This record gives sequence, structure tokens and C-alpha cells, in this order.
Amino acid sequence: MIAFKRDKKEEEDGGGNPFQNLEKTTVLQEARTFNNTPVNPRKCAHILTKILYLLNQGEQLGTMEATEAFFAMTKLFQSRDVILRRLVYLGIKELSSLAEDVIIVTSSLTKDMTGKEDLYRAAAIRALCTITDSSMLAAIERYMKQAIVDRSPAVSSAALVSSLHLTSVSGDVARRWANEAQEALNSNNVMVQYHALGVLYQARKTDKHAVIKLVAKLMKTSPKSPYAACMLIRMAYKLLDEVDEGEELIGFIESCLRHKSEMVVYEAAHALVNLGRSGAREIGPAISVLQLFCGSPKPALRFAAVRTLNKVAMSHPAAVTACNLDLENLITDSNRSIATLAITTLLKTGAESSVDR
Amino acid sequence: MDGQLLEPTLYTVKGMAILDNDGNRILAKYYDKNVFPTPKEQKTFEKNLFSKTHRANAEIIMLDGLTCVYRSNVDLFFYVMGSSHENELILMSVLNCLFDSVSQILRKNVEKRAVLDSLDIVMLAMDEICDGGIILDADASSVVQRVALRTDDIPLGEQTVAQVLQSAKEQLKWSLLK
Repeated sequence: MIAFKRDKKEEEDGGGNPFQNLEKTTVLQEARTFNNTPVNPRKCAHILTKILYLLNQGEQLGTMEATEAFFAMTKLFQSRDVILRRLVYLGIKELSSLAEDVIIVTSSLTKDMTGKEDLYRAAAIRALCTITDSSMLAAIERYMKQAIVDRSPAVSSAALVSSLHLTSVSGDVARRWANEAQEALNSNNVMVQYHALGVLYQARKTDKHAVIKLVAKLMKTSPKSPYAACMLIRMAYKLLDEVDEGEELIGFIESCLRHKSEMVVYEAAHALVNLGRSGAREIGPAISVLQLFCGSPKPALRFAAVRTLNKVAMSHPAAVTACNLDLENLITDSNRSIATLAITTLLKTGAESSVDR
Repeated sequence: MDGQLLEPTLYTVKGMAILDNDGNRILAKYYDKNVFPTPKEQKTFEKNLFSKTHRANAEIIMLDGLTCVYRSNVDLFFYVMGSSHENELILMSVLNCLFDSVSQILRKNVEKRAVLDSLDIVMLAMDEICDGGIILDADASSVVQRVALRTDDIPLGEQTVAQVLQSAKEQLKWSLLK
């Protein structure tokens, strides 16, 4: 039995992992196969996976090694194998910071991003933007604007997310592409809507009035995407921190307590209790929501609730007292973080009567 | 105050990891250069994270100033990390997406051997879920649709059938024209 176990263990450790004991130099040597024509997609995909695996394990490549591997990889653009092409994109992204002259693939990627296959286009956009520097930006600008308003959600999202990454290359990218992002905001796709909102906020965040206008407009038609709704709540919260009046903003956040997604409800409750200006009466509804969450079967939700209550207990201990019974139930929670947070919260709110229990 | 709510930003995910049952990394990505900049720090963090989570099936933990949500299956551990001020439920949705995508890719056979056999596809899936810290897609079926390219072999097959038909038609046309 023991022998059997050991065999099994060995099998799992050694033979079970085809990627174990890979040698960097051997793998890089194998990468020379990429230069052969015609390309053998399966073999090359396997070698490329090995390279990606090594990089993921934290193996360091020198500039020379990386550049050599990168250039060998560019030969794989000849093959039309879908998996191989997608792995090449991944390789470009991983090696772009290590290798030299990576802009050599610009034209190949631009071709893929304007091609017909949607799966290629989205991934090609993301790869292209990792190798784009400020001098190349103008050349791809037209394609990017088109991609943002593309009807394929994958392409649109890829372009929006990439434009956010590109703000580190050129600060005003988001502002220049704001019109397109505005159009993408009307998308039916939840992720596109979320990404578009992110780009619009990036474009306008230095102009408070522009942000107020954006939030006011979106509040009327609360976004369908729960992620976008969370983002909007954060934007509203930030505005409340800066402006004097804000009845509507608070009203909007309160209305989010009735959202159908727990994620949004929690975000709203969290924002309401953290607002410096609200009194015990205003945070009442938010506290009841958190109290409800304390009894949730999901540990993450209980954790989120008790963590927030713990913080509120410092500023409004009286408001949290209503939850004491629920918090006492959490003392024996199987998740130790939840139990600890429950105890420290009770210490802040607890009266003498509850200390005994 | 200590920034109880984050600046509104799409950069939500600090890292994602899949570890085996010895706490060794199978795949991991860190998206914030300020969080564990070197592989050495990352691996120390992973060891630490694994030792704190591999027995307690508790779903969520705070470690090194990060909120980490996790889930395990047979001999695999899935983690998603975010800032300690992040909405835990957003992180949870990313974790569920990661797990469900991998599960669908491996046809419910979520274990180390299977992940290693389809490592390329799992890598592509992780890339489709999170791009540089921004949640790109949190719907597992749509992620799988974007990466499960092996099933795309069928349309390729169909395409050849279509091509055969096309060439047959052309031959017929030519024979009629003659």
C-alpha cells in the first residue's frame, strides 16, 4: 500500500509534469525550429508553451536571449494555425519588455487587427498596444478609434482596455478617443459598457464639471453592467467628497441598495457608511443591508459585511449595535478572519450585557 | 482617512495564481509592479498564502495587505488577489470566472495533470479574463468561447466540406458550359 502510494506520488511529481526540469538553454535552442518552413503548428505551439511556462515560473532571460527568441517567434506568423497565432500574441506581450526592436511585428499585428477574424482582432489589438510607443501611436490611432466602436464586444473591449494602458505612453490618449468611448458606453455588452466608462472617467477626471455631467447623465439610466454600476458609485462617492451639495448623488447611491446584483448592493452600502458627512439616520438602510449579508452562506459576503461594520463601529458604534446578535453568530465562523473581525467589532459596540456571552 | 474607497479605476486585480497541492506555482500573473516586483518575492508570498489556505477551505483571507479569494479542487488551488480596499465580491466574480473557465476547458476534469496537458489554452484563458489588472471578461462561457479553439476544428472541417461543395459546383458549371 505504501509502495503504491509512493509510486502514485512519483508519477504525479515526475512523469506527471511534462514541464518539470525544463532547461532554459535547451528550450531556447528548440525555438530555432521556428525558423523551419513549413511551420509545424503543433510542435511549435508546444515549444512556445514551454517558453511561456518558463517565463511564468520567473526564469530571467537576457536581452540577447529574449531578442533571439522574439525574432524566431515572428517567423510563426507564416502559419495560419489559430492556437499558434494566439500563443504568438501572448509571447509578444511577455517578451515585449525584455527584447529589443519589438516594433518589427507592428505591421503583422496591424494586419491581424484589421482582418476578418474577430478572435484574432481582439487579441492582436492588445498585443499591438503593448509594443506601441509614443512615436507609433499616431500610426495606429485611426484603427484604434474604429476598433473602439466595433460591433464585436471582444474587439471593442480590447481597444478600450488597451487605450487605458496606453495612457502611460501618452497622457491624452483617453481624451482624444473620448468620443468613441462615449459611443461604446451605449453598448449592450456589460463589459464594453464598463470599459467605456473607465476610459471616459480617465479622460475627464481632471475636470470636475465634466465628471459631474457624466455621472448625472448616467445616474438617470442606471448602468446595466454591475461592474459599471460599482464604478459609478465610486465616482459619485468621490464627487461627494469634493462638492458641497449632493442630495441627488446620495439618492442615487441609496437606490443602488436595491440593485439586483449583490456586488453593487455591497458597493453602495460600503460607500454610504463611509461617507464622512452622514449621520446615524442616513446610514440606517446601509447597515440593514450589511446585517443581512452577515447571514449569507457565502464567506466572501460575510467577510465583506463584517469588515465594513468593523470600520463603521469606530465612527457610529450606536448604529452597529443593531447587528450585535448577527455578529455574535459570526464569532464561531469557520473562517478565522471573519471571526476575528466579528470579535473586534463587538468589542467596540458591545454593552456589558453581551460581554458575558 | 486611509482611502476607504478606491479611486475610481478599472485596475482591480493585483494578481491571479494557480498552485498545485505542494504550493508550487503552475501559473501566476501579477499585474501591479508595486506588489511583489520580483519572482522571488512572488514565490515567497505564494508559499505563505498556500500555507495559510491549503487546509482551511474558507474562501477569503487578508494577507500582506491584499485581499485574496481562493478556491480549491482535487490537487489545484486557484487564487485571485486585490487591494485590501477592493470590493470582495468583484474579486470573487473573477475567481469564479477563472475556475469555471478552466473547468469548462478541461471538461470538468479540474486537476493538475489536465491543466498541464492543456497549459496553452489555460494560459490563453487567463489572458482573456484579466488584461494588465483590468477585468476583461468575467463570464466563463464567453471566455471559453474566446479560447476554446480546439473545438473550432469543427468549423474548419465544415469549411472544407463547403469548399468541396464549391469545387463540385464549379466542376458542374464547367461541364454544363461545355
